[in-house]
Amino acid sequence: METSLIKEELLAQQLQNAFENIVTEAVRKDTVFAYASKEQVSSILLYAKEKLGYKSLAHMSCIDWLESDEFELVYIIWSPETKLNLFVKTRIDRQNPEMENMDMIWRQLNTYQREIREMFGVEFPGFVGEKEFILEDWEDAPPMRRDFDTLEYVNDTFFEREGREDKQDVRERIAKRSGEEIPDFAKKYSRE
Amino acid sequence: MYNDKNAQTIVEYIQNFTRKNSLFMLAYGTGCGAIELPATLTSRYDAERLGVRGAATPRQADLLLITGYLSTKTLKRVIRVYEQMQDPKYVIGFGSCTINGGMYWDSYNTIKLLDKYIPVDVYINGCMPRPESVIAGFKELQSLIAAGKADGAAKYKENLEWYRENQKKVLKNWPLVEYNW
Ligand code: SF4
Repeated sequence: METSLIKEELLAQQLQNAFENIVTEAVRKDTVFAYASKEQVSSILLYAKEKLGYKSLAHMSCIDWLESDEFELVYIIWSPETKLNLFVKTRIDRQNPEMENMDMIWRQLNTYQREIREMFGVEFPGFVGEKEFILEDWEDAPPMRRDFDTLEYVNDTFFEREGREDKQDVRERIAKRSGEEIPDFAKKYSRE
Repeated sequence: MYNDKNAQTIVEYIQNFTRKNSLFMLAYGTGCGAIELPATLTSRYDAERLGVRGAATPRQADLLLITGYLSTKTLKRVIRVYEQMQDPKYVIGFGSCTINGGMYWDSYNTIKLLDKYIPVDVYINGCMPRPESVIAGFKELQSLIAAGKADGAAKYKENLEWYRENQKKVLKNWPLVEYNW
């Protein structure tokens, strides 16, 4: 049964009317996506917070689109009145990743920004926070980037128990057994 | 028996007997395995009937239990804790993560082989080991102590340089205490 998305459509329309050049989409129940450019994000978030009652920041995360050389930043905010989640998404350049610092809108963003700075190497100019978040003494590339080769790093850094080098690549076997194809981008991790 | 050089003296025998029956344990709850300890220590499995019970601080403890994966960040603290403990001291590695990395074998931030960094007397395998196997591990440690073979602390003193070298490989900018025993 298709549930109607009246509330969601309404929010999408509201944002559409308030801002030029953004794409909004009522994706599913309780969820609206808004795709915006990097410069618009702060005004969208502020507008949603002050005018529409999206008071609560639920999450901020980052996605590494290696193929198109971009990072996607996602801000998820929530309104206690309409009970809708609004996802504000933006894409930034991967070579020189920089995003506006917004921890004065929500203090919690400070923590998320520290995490994203450490794990993806996205810089937030003007933002005050300890350099180290979870990792200590990290000297390599940011570890959550997809071009960071975890296995190589592990083989260089940690020891291997002798007699355990014959680990089987079960992924190949499981894929074969259920007749699935391993996608191309994952093939370079195969050991066979 | 009288001429056996390796046999324990009567004093050693009594020492080991008392040590093995009062193991004060510092459970360093690093990984998921720590969740089996409450069950092991409370009435159902009751490890206290073997003389194993919790200790409040490293200096009061005889036995360090590493219950699972260690991130490099935790490893620093574990080394610190281990060095604070007083002789006699024993280490139990708990779960496959301490043995060969377990399911974190390709994680950038967890060590794979605990015994390269601190000496381990007994490993308990399993992911995670059930209280029965934890108790079997305690029994194994007790029999090692009784035989005078649980000498991890002595090994650590002797090979401190080797251990330090391994530790420094992952803890690059962390001050490790210099000892001159
Ligand atoms: S061995 Fe298994 S249960 Fe224990 S810490 Fe590792 S993953 Fe967790």
